[in-house]
Amino acid sequence: MAINPLKIEMAPGRISAGLPILVLSGTVLALSFSITMAEEPAAQAPAAGSPEIEAGKKIYQKWCINCHGEEGDGAGPAADFLRPRPRDFRTGLFKIRSTVNGQLPSDQDLFNVITKGMPGTGMPRWEHALKEPDRRQLVPYIKTFSRRFARTKDAPKPVVIGKQIASGADSIAKGKQLFHDMECFKCHGDEGRADGPSAPELTDDWNYPIRPANLTKPWNFRGGHAPNDLYLRLQSGISGTPMPSFADSLDNDKTWHLINYIMSLWPDPSGDVPSLKVVLRARRVESEIPAKPGDPFWLAQEAFDFPLVGQVIKEPRMFTPTGNQIEVKAVYNDREVAFHLTWDDPTNSRPDSSKGIFEDAVAVQLPVQIPTGTKRPFFLMGDPELAVQLLRWSVGESADGTVTEMNGNGIARLVAQPSTSQETRGVGEFKNGRYRVVLKRPLRTGNTAQDIQLEPGKFIPIAFFAWDGSNGETGAKMAISHWYYFLMEPPLAKTVFIYPVIGVAVAAGLQWWMIRRLRQRS
Amino acid sequence: MPKRRIPILAKVVGVVIGIYILIRFVIQPPLPFSLVFMYMSLTVVGVLVYVSIYDDVWNEFTLPIEEFFRGRSDRGAVWQGVRLIVLAMIPLFIGWGVYNKVKPSYNPPAEQRVVHPAPPFEVAGLNNPLRQRPEKYQDYIKLGSKIYFQNCFYCHGDRFDGEGHFAHGFNLPPANFMDAGTIAQLQESFVFWRVSTGGPGLPAESTPWNSAMPKWEDMLNTEERWAVVMYLYEQTGWKPRTWQ
Repeated sequence: MAINPLKIEMAPGRISAGLPILVLSGTVLALSFSITMAEEPAAQAPAAGSPEIEAGKKIYQKWCINCHGEEGDGAGPAADFLRPRPRDFRTGLFKIRSTVNGQLPSDQDLFNVITKGMPGTGMPRWEHALKEPDRRQLVPYIKTFSRRFARTKDAPKPVVIGKQIASGADSIAKGKQLFHDMECFKCHGDEGRADGPSAPELTDDWNYPIRPANLTKPWNFRGGHAPNDLYLRLQSGISGTPMPSFADSLDNDKTWHLINYIMSLWPDPSGDVPSLKVVLRARRVESEIPAKPGDPFWLAQEAFDFPLVGQVIKEPRMFTPTGNQIEVKAVYNDREVAFHLTWDDPTNSRPDSSKGIFEDAVAVQLPVQIPTGTKRPFFLMGDPELAVQLLRWSVGESADGTVTEMNGNGIARLVAQPSTSQETRGVGEFKNGRYRVVLKRPLRTGNTAQDIQLEPGKFIPIAFFAWDGSNGETGAKMAISHWYYFLMEPPLAKTVFIYPVIGVAVAAGLQWWMIRRLRQRS
Repeated sequence: MPKRRIPILAKVVGVVIGIYILIRFVIQPPLPFSLVFMYMSLTVVGVLVYVSIYDDVWNEFTLPIEEFFRGRSDRGAVWQGVRLIVLAMIPLFIGWGVYNKVKPSYNPPAEQRVVHPAPPFEVAGLNNPLRQRPEKYQDYIKLGSKIYFQNCFYCHGDRFDGEGHFAHGFNLPPANFMDAGTIAQLQESFVFWRVSTGGPGLPAESTPWNSAMPKWEDMLNTEERWAVVMYLYEQTGWKPRTWQ
């Protein structure tokens, strides 16, 4: 069990004779510095009778027990299929608080989480599904699961949010220094992609593995990504997780510098999830296409983001994949097409059967035949009737990785093409929790039975898959996307520019003629 | 000196803009574009008929337009400047319209599908066998809830609204059971059929290749599938449709 210096951690249900001593020493410790103290399970059933509690209980039993459990122990039937796991309410430890380190959340904090949900987790927004009085009624009932609430007489003390410091180069530089000095990088990684050296070993207070936040994906921040939300997380910590409070080491100014640095890591200042586009467009270039993913050429190309989710359709299923998004850029020239794929993965996994680690990989899926009507292969690796082609890159043995062209007639019927037909070339690199891979393939090949023959101007279905080998992802256990469209933009016809010029000339001529006539008439 | 009144051209422009605002923004719920287009065409034809009935009205209507194009030396610099800008913009506007017409569009082909296809004949008559044992109703609901939260809620959601945490990854949106248009409209046997055979069991007109719905008969037994169907009705409050 990882011991956090600021907390004493106890798994519920493991407390026996040592309890009084622990409680006593805990009280002593609490006097010297702020601690968060795990609580034993509530011994007796919640005080029935009070209509407020009973009303909350009814709503809880209808909507909450399947994740959080009838006893509030976070062990409902769905719990094992979720990461992060649902909260165990018996400890009184809540992630998202506006109260000072070590204190209980306010009622409003609990209400806010129910209302807004927790992005990036299985906890949805209940804002529209439950009426406000119902959401309010849940709060006192949830509090009955932990005795800490009944024992604590004083209202929790809120964190005071000081004057915000506007972002700027100077503040961001200070924040970056703090990110290093406070050792944030140890979990969150040098560039914030949750790939720090300690990240793989992190566990929560219940001893379950837990991942640090990927600071470049603010739309998944559990408590929201408004500047004030970040302030509260830094000042009050995230209870039950290894994320401590930095109230003792970060004053108001430093907190804002660090926030400004974190916000500078976001792909967009709004922090909102990138908008989903349905068509991946490839621009035509006349030059050679650079093979290295780090080439500055790729910075200038338009990026398209596609969401990835767990493969929960065919056994063996993957309920908690690492990949949740892939960024794709595509270009083509007169001979070949190239895909530039970028996705986050905290570890560079190479196969190691002794540790149950598989290799990291990514794949682009295309149909073998460009569909003429609506009919196309099944989006998950094809079907017996219609085959798909996979351009798969994996970490492999060599520095650049290994590329394999495969064909699929279903997820269980995936076959690598013969070596004579392997025409896709790829170069991949891993740095700071991020893979970047370039895959290049001729537009047309000799193997028309197994290879798609690409044509500009056609809407071609395309899908993406990613495997994180350190997360047990291999074979059917992976992150998947649905079919999107791939379009190689045909070179613009000259008429696109000529017709508007003709239009302007004709309109100007007519106008001139009309004015002349009017003048002659008067 | 004649009484000062609003020029006919200003009246016409005012009426057209007024009617546009009325049918586009005031009337709720918003009218479809085709209807707005039709009403506006009628409006324009109407005012043109009105101004062209009498010669004097027509002349009064066209005079300012005519003067604008012909130009008037007795007007101030502002009027002259605005006139030149408008005259220059008209051809450019037309050129822009032509460009929008001829430039390639990158909108993917529309995909149409039948949402509730006809089930196979042998499915239509099925009755939920679990309903024959009302004494075990709560047990089945319990079983159904477990099945739902270990298999279905990633897509269909804790709120049964089709917005589970994986739903955004699929572009046939998972069914929203709270909506009046899904299980509320269907017989239990239909829902059981959809659960059992999933996407692959759909006919071609329902684009089975796009459906992420698994073929649950491979993963859940008959009782589990009926139980989860029953749970959906229990939890959403809808009643299955029957033949009566």
